[in-house]
Amino acid sequence: MDLRFTAADEAFREEVRDFMRTHVPPEIAADTKRWVNPRPAYFRRWQGILAARGWGAPHWPAKWGGTDWSALRKHLFFEELYRAYAPDFGWQGLHMMAPVLFAFGSEEQCRRWAPRMLTGEDFWCQGFSEPGAGSDLANLKSTAECVGDEWVLRGQKIWTSDAADSNWGFFLVRTDATVKPQRGLSFIAVKMDTPGITVRPIHGIDGRHDLNEVFLDEVRVPADQLIGEPGKGWTYAKYLLEKERTASAFLYFNRRRFEMAKDIARQTLVHGRPLLEDRAFARKLARVDADLHALNWSVLRILAEEPQKYDLNAVVSALKISGSEMQQRVTELQIDALGPRAVRHFERDQPHTEEADLRRHWQEFTVGPTNLYLFERASTIYGGAREVQKNIIAKLAFGF
Amino acid sequence: MDFTLTDEQQMLREGAERYLQENYPFERRRATAATVTSCDDAMWAAFAEMGWLALTVPEEAAGLGAGVMEAALLHEALGRRNVLEPVATSAVLCARLIERSGHAAARETVLPAIAGGEARVALACLEPDRYYAHDAPSTVARRDGDGYVLSGAKIVVVDAPAAHRFIVSASVAGESGCALFLVDATAAGLEQRAYPLIDGRRAADLDLRDVRVGASALLCGPAEGAAVLDEALDRFRIVQVADALGAMEAVIDLTAEHIRNRKQFGQPLATFQALQHRMSESFVKVQELRSALYHAFAHVDAPPAERNAAVSAAVVVASEAGRVVGGQGIQLHGGVGMTEEYQVGHYFKRLLVTEKLWGDVDFHLDRIAFTYR
Repeated sequence: MDLRFTAADEAFREEVRDFMRTHVPPEIAADTKRWVNPRPAYFRRWQGILAARGWGAPHWPAKWGGTDWSALRKHLFFEELYRAYAPDFGWQGLHMMAPVLFAFGSEEQCRRWAPRMLTGEDFWCQGFSEPGAGSDLANLKSTAECVGDEWVLRGQKIWTSDAADSNWGFFLVRTDATVKPQRGLSFIAVKMDTPGITVRPIHGIDGRHDLNEVFLDEVRVPADQLIGEPGKGWTYAKYLLEKERTASAFLYFNRRRFEMAKDIARQTLVHGRPLLEDRAFARKLARVDADLHALNWSVLRILAEEPQKYDLNAVVSALKISGSEMQQRVTELQIDALGPRAVRHFERDQPHTEEADLRRHWQEFTVGPTNLYLFERASTIYGGAREVQKNIIAKLAFGF
Repeated sequence: MDFTLTDEQQMLREGAERYLQENYPFERRRATAATVTSCDDAMWAAFAEMGWLALTVPEEAAGLGAGVMEAALLHEALGRRNVLEPVATSAVLCARLIERSGHAAARETVLPAIAGGEARVALACLEPDRYYAHDAPSTVARRDGDGYVLSGAKIVVVDAPAAHRFIVSASVAGESGCALFLVDATAAGLEQRAYPLIDGRRAADLDLRDVRVGASALLCGPAEGAAVLDEALDRFRIVQVADALGAMEAVIDLTAEHIRNRKQFGQPLATFQALQHRMSESFVKVQELRSALYHAFAHVDAPPAERNAAVSAAVVVASEAGRVVGGQGIQLHGGVGMTEEYQVGHYFKRLLVTEKLWGDVDFHLDRIAFTYR
């Protein structure tokens, strides 16, 4: 058992760190720190910078612009990306849609969509959940009917991130209502300006509105936009989740926000001394720090394919539970550090430097943490709710 | 030992619940939250008419002379309905500060105005780089002839936009201790920068630049101010705990109703034992919290250290209960709990604001531990 990175991997890390230091535009880093709405323009710009270096999608097959990096190197890459406050968005296209496309889509479909996804020219959203199909996703009711050489889509999706800014979307729809629910689903790519699509923003309690409802009203989609085989949609969705085993831990996000909590505590004074030096507060940080280290090694164990005595899916569910609770804990530390200043509402896109009072009593670090804390109340809901994850563990680890 | 409510207390509680149920729907609250004061004048007038603003003001000052228990009953109803209007800060906290200040003129003129609804007063005691501390303020009052000149900065003055006057804590130059001044919101040299809070209420930062006030503006001298502030804040905290209790019960009711109706996997969520247990856990928290509130009631007139410890115990219990109950409320609603459209998220935010304003948990734990010496 050797728990060190190789010298080559450490050198690789240095290379990435160096790149990030010199290539992350300061205004993009500032936005990332404050956690404003990822602007499509910033996504395109950053994605362009990464793609120019050949790093636009490290996890993709090299043929399509990916790298040949090991799982550990991809991990190091993301560690450094997050450390430099580089943005990490465009998730739906690059990380969810693309793997399915490469595994099950046609060559023509890959050629059509992958390059533009890589450079950031296309921004994709994901249409899975429905008002009646949250945890019970298989119960989804949106349909696609084959009419000539088109699919006609009817139904409604919900919680579709960034749908209003996306020019493409991949949807899970029912193409066969006569078979078992999981067997009748298909994966279809849809251009978001197709007639019949209505996107309606949902206003969240965090002030965000980049989640949306997407209404599909007789939306005509060319038949060649169905990915893989009809009826295999559920299989593809499961495949998609399996490709991103450790993503649900949100390790890099958690570490970044923990560091920011320490930073806030360093800059918040109590009787002239930094809150970070207050013993009670320091202990709160330390307690979370301990679990964050554990989370880090949980991720490494999966990436390095540690031999597991338990069903891997149970282990991944455990990781999701730890990771999502950690998202809440680190964002809570941030607002605890702010104390009374945590109660103020800032608009998500409120410019910071334009208000004089922000400089005076409301430094840069006061903007964002509260909205983020509110948003992360959803961390134990999205991506498979905590209760569902616990069911998976009960079933797969114990056979209950 | 008798926990039954008197007829008057019963009427107060039921009256408040019924009035708010009928007149304070969610949509109205939403509209009020969009105004610059987050205070609806017609609603305020109605509150005044029902005697809610006069509840704990002494009878000699045109009040009803009721105690903290009555105030708690009212505020539980206000919290349950997620009411925005600044009843607690004006009619409980600031009214108490004026009452106990020993300032006869303020008692005779300002208290009745608060009780009648004509005057709203907000407390300005938090300062930048002070976290929650409010002793030894850096805002300074220089003597100037008969009066004073005030300079300094206050932040997160809750309910400032709706206030006509402020009670400002300040050090008096050359003296130790904390004095309290009553200042007009329109005083020359006083600049307000208002902003919304996450739960629809509002606050402001105040900048005082050579704000001239007369001798009569001094509510409490530096030798008395800290004790008066401490006592009034403890009463305010009790009332805020009651508010939080009401909000938590609303969360529980909303959530129970949601999971009764919401179906996934072919059955209502309420049939899943794991979720039933979440509801039960919230129930336990709320039972404990009500008990902690009684503990605070029982010691509200005790000597300061004892009172501090009892109030802090209630605050500590309420802080944790709020996070558990509020958090479970959103969790059991699933995605819709995260939307502006549904009420549970709004209660979560109210609980968060309330918790962040009554001082951090470590401060309160220290007050409890102080009695161990």
